[in-house]
Amino acid sequence: MTAKSNLEHILAFGQFAVTGELGPPKNGDMEVVRKKARILKGHVDAVNITDCQTAIVRMSSLTAGLIALSEGVEPVMQMTCRDRNRIAIQAEALGASALGIKNLLCLTGDHQKFGNHPQSKGVFDMDSIQLLTMMSQMRNERRFQCGEEIKGPAPSFFLGAAANPFADPFEFRPKRLAKKVAAGAKFVQTQIIYNVDKFAKFMEMVRDLGLDEKVYILAGVTPPKSLGMARYMKNYVPGLDVTDEVIARMRDAKDQKQEGIQIAVDIIRQVREIPGVKGVHIMAIEWEEAVPEIVKLAGLGPRPESQGVEPRLVSKEAIELAVSGAVEQTRASAAQEMEKIKKELQVSTELLAKEKDRAAQRIAVLEKELQEAREMVAEKKSETAILVAELNEAKNLLKNAAAALAAAPVQAQLAGSGAAPAPQIVASGQEAVLSPREQMALNALKQGLSALRKAMNLTEDQFEAIRQFLEAQFVLYLGAPMSVQTAQSIAQPVSAAVMPAPQPVAESLQAAPCVTAEPQKPLEKIETAVAASKSAAGPATGPAAGPVKGLPPCPEGLTPEEWRNKWIIRLVAKASVCLQRGDGAGAKTIFEQVLAIDPQNLRAKSGLEQISKGLTPKPVETVKEVVQEASKAVFEPQPQKAEPVPAPVLEPVKEVVKPEALVQKIEEKKAEPHRPAPVVQAAVQSLPKETVSLADRAGQVSKDMFLEQCSASVRPVTIGDGPKAITVGGANTLPFHLFEGDMPYPPKVAFDVLDVQPDDWPDVLSRHYSDVFADSAKWAQKCVKEYGAEAICLSLVSTDPNGMNRPAADAVKTVKSVLDAVDVPLVLWGCGNAEKDTETLREVTSHLEGRRVCIAPLTDANYRSLGATALGMNLPVVAATPIDVNLAKQLNILLENLGLPLENVLMDPSIGAVGYGMEYTYSVMERIRLAALTQQDAKLAVPFICNIGREVWKAKETKIPSSDSLGDQERRGILMEAITASALLLAGGDLLIMRHPMAVELTNVLIQGMM
Amino acid sequence: MIIAERKPLNEIMDMLQGVSRLLVLGCRGCVAICSAGGDKEVGILASAIRLGCKNHGLSMEIDTDTYIRQCDPEYLEPLKELGGRYDAVLSMACGVGVNFVADRCENVRVLPALNTSFYGANLSSGEWKEMCAGCGACVLHLTGGLCPVARCAKRLSNGPCGGSVGGRCEIDPEVSCVWFAIHARMQKMGKADDLMNIMPIRDWRTAGHGGPRSRKREDLLS
Repeated sequence: MTAKSNLEHILAFGQFAVTGELGPPKNGDMEVVRKKARILKGHVDAVNITDCQTAIVRMSSLTAGLIALSEGVEPVMQMTCRDRNRIAIQAEALGASALGIKNLLCLTGDHQKFGNHPQSKGVFDMDSIQLLTMMSQMRNERRFQCGEEIKGPAPSFFLGAAANPFADPFEFRPKRLAKKVAAGAKFVQTQIIYNVDKFAKFMEMVRDLGLDEKVYILAGVTPPKSLGMARYMKNYVPGLDVTDEVIARMRDAKDQKQEGIQIAVDIIRQVREIPGVKGVHIMAIEWEEAVPEIVKLAGLGPRPESQGVEPRLVSKEAIELAVSGAVEQTRASAAQEMEKIKKELQVSTELLAKEKDRAAQRIAVLEKELQEAREMVAEKKSETAILVAELNEAKNLLKNAAAALAAAPVQAQLAGSGAAPAPQIVASGQEAVLSPREQMALNALKQGLSALRKAMNLTEDQFEAIRQFLEAQFVLYLGAPMSVQTAQSIAQPVSAAVMPAPQPVAESLQAAPCVTAEPQKPLEKIETAVAASKSAAGPATGPAAGPVKGLPPCPEGLTPEEWRNKWIIRLVAKASVCLQRGDGAGAKTIFEQVLAIDPQNLRAKSGLEQISKGLTPKPVETVKEVVQEASKAVFEPQPQKAEPVPAPVLEPVKEVVKPEALVQKIEEKKAEPHRPAPVVQAAVQSLPKETVSLADRAGQVSKDMFLEQCSASVRPVTIGDGPKAITVGGANTLPFHLFEGDMPYPPKVAFDVLDVQPDDWPDVLSRHYSDVFADSAKWAQKCVKEYGAEAICLSLVSTDPNGMNRPAADAVKTVKSVLDAVDVPLVLWGCGNAEKDTETLREVTSHLEGRRVCIAPLTDANYRSLGATALGMNLPVVAATPIDVNLAKQLNILLENLGLPLENVLMDPSIGAVGYGMEYTYSVMERIRLAALTQQDAKLAVPFICNIGREVWKAKETKIPSSDSLGDQERRGILMEAITASALLLAGGDLLIMRHPMAVELTNVLIQGMM
Repeated sequence: MIIAERKPLNEIMDMLQGVSRLLVLGCRGCVAICSAGGDKEVGILASAIRLGCKNHGLSMEIDTDTYIRQCDPEYLEPLKELGGRYDAVLSMACGVGVNFVADRCENVRVLPALNTSFYGANLSSGEWKEMCAGCGACVLHLTGGLCPVARCAKRLSNGPCGGSVGGRCEIDPEVSCVWFAIHARMQKMGKADDLMNIMPIRDWRTAGHGGPRSRKREDLLS
C-alpha cells in the first residue's frame, strides 16, 4: 500500500481542504501546465487535472498531472469513461500509479456531443460508479476487472467522485451519492454551487443517510469571470443552478472580476457552515489567478505544507540541478547563521565588558558608602556620648529635685489616668494632686527640658517624647507602685514614633527599647550588598529581618497596635503549627515570645498550659464573611439611611454626600473629565482584622483534619532596587493558609502604565489617567503619588509591529523617563511580538543604568535571546506560556538550562478575566502551585505574575454603558477587576498588574486583611 | 421493429452511376410498416430515379418488385435467376435484407436504398423511437421495463447522471432522460429502493463486441 496523498492527509486530519482545478492546454506546451501549477501551488492542497473536459481534445490528464507533480503540486487525476474502455482505463491507472499519482477522480465524462468531436464514438464501457468499483477492486483485492490477479504493485488511489446536487430527480441525488460511496468513493467534489439553500437541503439528506461520516464532501465553487459567463452557465449548462441574485450582483458590479471573486468567497463562507462539508473545490475555469485571492479572502490560507508530493519521473539533469540548488541554499543559510552567531558573540562580549565596568563602579560606590557610613556611625557615637552625659545631668537634676521633696506619700490615682496615652492629662492630673514643692520641682524640670530642647535642636515630637519619658521617670521616683507600667506604656509609642526615621537624637533615648540595634543595620546592609555585587551572584538581599527581640518593624499601612495584634496572631498560629507537628519545645518558645510582647495573652498562656492537652476552640466568623462585609462597606454604605457618609475617607470630601447622591455625582462628573470623581476613591474601608486563630475557630475539629503541611516553598523573587524594592513569592503554603505555614511576602499590585495613549479604554477607567496619558513618566508618577503604587508595569504596546510599530529607540526614551520619574520597581512588558520584543527589550536593557527592572514576556520563541540578556544583566524576567502546566514547566526548564536562575523568574500562566475562562486559569495555577509545594517540583516553585488589567478592561462588560439592568459601568468594571484579582490571589497570584485605582485599593485591602 | 429511412436521393443516384438496368426491390416486412421500403415507397423511389435520370440526361431501364421478406431464404429464390438480368438490385429492405441478398445471390449486385436506424416503436404516424439496442443481455426487469442501454446517451447502468434536468437529457432537450423515467416508474411501483443496488459492469460480448452474433436452436434445425 502506497503512502497517503496530501489531500487524504489533510482530510483525515480534519482540516478544511481546498482543491483547485487545472485545465490542460489544447496543444503540447508543457509550460502552460507548469505556469498554472505555479499559480495554484501553496494555495490549494491538490489540483484536479481535467480529462478532456466537455469532450474537447486536450493534453491527457495523466501527462498534465505528471507535469503538475513535477512542480510540486499534487494532482487529482480525472478519469472518464467516455474515451476509454476498461482496458485503456486500467492501463492508465497502472501508469499513473507507477509515476506517483495518488488521487483519482472517477467520472463518466461529459457526452462527446458537447465537444469538438461530436461525431466520435462514445465508449462508455462502464459508468462512473462501475469505474469506482473497478478501481476499488484493483486497490483492495489487487485484481483487474476481469478477476485476474495483479502481480506486483497495484494501483492504490485515493478515490474520488463527483456529485451534482442540482440535477434531477433531487431526492435521488443523495442516494446516487450513496451508491458512489458504496462503490468506493472516499471523497466527493460537487457541481458548482450558487444556490446554497438547495445545497444545504441536499446536505441535510446526505446527513440523513449518514454519508457525511463515510465520505469527505468538498463543495464546488466557481467565481463567475463575467456577466456573460454567469448568464451562459445559467442558460446553457444543464445541471447548474445559477441564482438570479448572482446574475444581479454581476450585472450591478463595477468590477465584474472582483465581484466574481467575492461571490465565490461568500459562497465558501456559507457552505463552510453546513455540517458535513469538509472542504471546497474551487474551479476557476481558465482563471487560475483568482484562486490565491479567493483562498486568502475566504480565510483558508495559508495551506498546510504539502506532504509526500514528489515526482517519481525526474531527469538526471533536473536532479543534479535540484541537488546543487539545495547545496547552495544550505551553504548560504549556514553562512548567514555563522554571521549571526558572530554578531551575537560580539554583542555579548561587549555586554560582558560593560557589565564588568558597571559592577566595578558599583563596588566602588558601595565601598565609598560603607566608608561614609562608618564615619557617620563614629560621629553618632560621639554625639550619643555627649547626649547621654547631658541626660545624666538632667537626671541628677531630677534626683535632686526629688530628694528635695519630703517623703510625703503620693496619690496612687495617677496610675489610672497615667495609662491613657495623652500626656497632657497626666500632667494636669499630676498638677491637681502635687504639693507646692513637688510643683516647683516639676517646673524646674520643665525649664531644664526646654533648655535642653533648644540646645539639641529637637523637633516637637522628639521633645514631647523625652518630656513624657522624664515625667514618667519623675512619677517613678515619687514611688507610686503602678507608675512603672505607666512609664513603659508611654515609652512604647515613643519608640514607635521615632523608629521609622532614625535621627541622631533618637539614640539619646537609651531607655527606650528597640532603638539600640538601629545604627548597626545600614552598615550590615551595605556590607551584604557589596559582597553580593562582588560575587555577581544575585541582587542585594531583600528587606533585612526585623530585630531579634520582640516585635519586627511595623509595615506601612498598619497602626503599631494593629501590627502588634497581627504579629501575635501569627506567632500563635506558628506555635499551633508546631504543636500540630508535635514540636512541643518549638511551640513553647514561640508562646513565650508571644508573652514577651503581650504578657496578658490568654491564648499563649493557655497554649503553654495545654501543650500536652487538647484545645479549647471558639466559633468566629470566617474570612469570607469579613470580605463580604468589607465589599458591602465599600459599595453599599448604608444605602437606605439618610445619614452622611461616615469618616473613613481617603481624600477629603468637602461636601457631605449621601450614597445615592454619590452615584449620581459620578454621572455628573463624567461630563467634566478632568475632575477626579470622589466616589470611587471615597469608600474603601480596611477589612476587620482576624484576631482569632484558626485552631480556635475550628472548634472540636482536630488539627490533623484540616492542616496540610507543605514540604517545599516558592522561590522569592525581588524586583527593583533600594528601599522600594519588592519581593514576592517565598510562601511555603497555599495562598493565605497562614495556619499551615508562612507567607513571608504578601502579594503585590503593580499599576499598568502604557507608553501611548490607550484608545480602547472605557471612559470610566481612562478618566483617572487622562491628564497624564501624554506622558508615561507623569502617569507612573501619578500612580505612585496619588494611588500609592508599589510597582509599575510599563506596557510597551506602541512597539507592536501590527500597530504603531514604534522603534526600539522610542521605547528607550519612554523607559528612561519613567525610571527617572519613579523609584518603585518597574516591570517592562513588551508588545507580545516575540521578534520585536527581543529587539526592543534588548535595546532598552542596555540603558537601564543598573536598575533592576523585570522584563516580560519571555516566550518559547524568544527566551534564548532575552534570557541571555537578562542573565548578563541579572534582571528578573517573566516566563509567559499559553495556559498549560507542562508548557510553563518546560519554559522554566529551558530558562534554567540557559543558566538563568529560577530565583529571577516569574511565571505568567496566561490569565483570563472573570467570565472569560478564569476557571481554567485558576485550575492551571492551582495545579502548578500544588505541584511546587506538595510534590517538590522545583521547576514550578516560581511566583506568578498576572496581567489582570489588560484582560479585564478589554471585556465587553467593562465597556457597556451604565443601565438599569447592568448597573453602573464604573462599579461594574472595578468589581470585575477586583474580583478577578481576588480569585487569582487565591489561586496563587503573587504580583498582579492592574489598572483601576479603586480596584487596586480593594485588592490591597483584601491582601492586608488576609495576611 | 426495425426502423429504417431512405437514403438521400443524391446518394442513391451516385450509387447508380453506370447502371442502365435496375431493379428496385421492396420488402413487406418491418420497412413496409415504418413506411420506408414497402410497395408504396418502391414506386415513389422508382419514379424519383427516373426523374433524376432525365435531369442528368441518362437513360435507365427500371423495374420494380416487392417481396414478402428479404430475410428468409425461400422468398429470395426467384431473385437468384432474375437478378442476373439487372446491372444492380436496389434493395429497400433493412440492412439484413441487403446482406442476405448479397449472401445468397452470387450474381446479383445489391445496393442499399435505406439506412437501417434502430429497433424502435411507432409513437404515432410518422414518428418512431429507439427502444432496444439488441445488446443481448436484457436488464429491463431491473429498470421498470425501460432500456438504459438503448435510451441513455451514455448507456449508464447506474443513472441518472448530473445532466438530467426536468426529465430531459443534457444532450438535447428533445431527448427524454430514461433514467429519470426509470426512477419515476420504479417509485410508482414502490421499487425505488431497487435502484440502490449497483448494476455491475456489463459484458458487452452479447452486444456484438464479442464478434458477429448468431443463434442456433437445435430442435428446429433441419
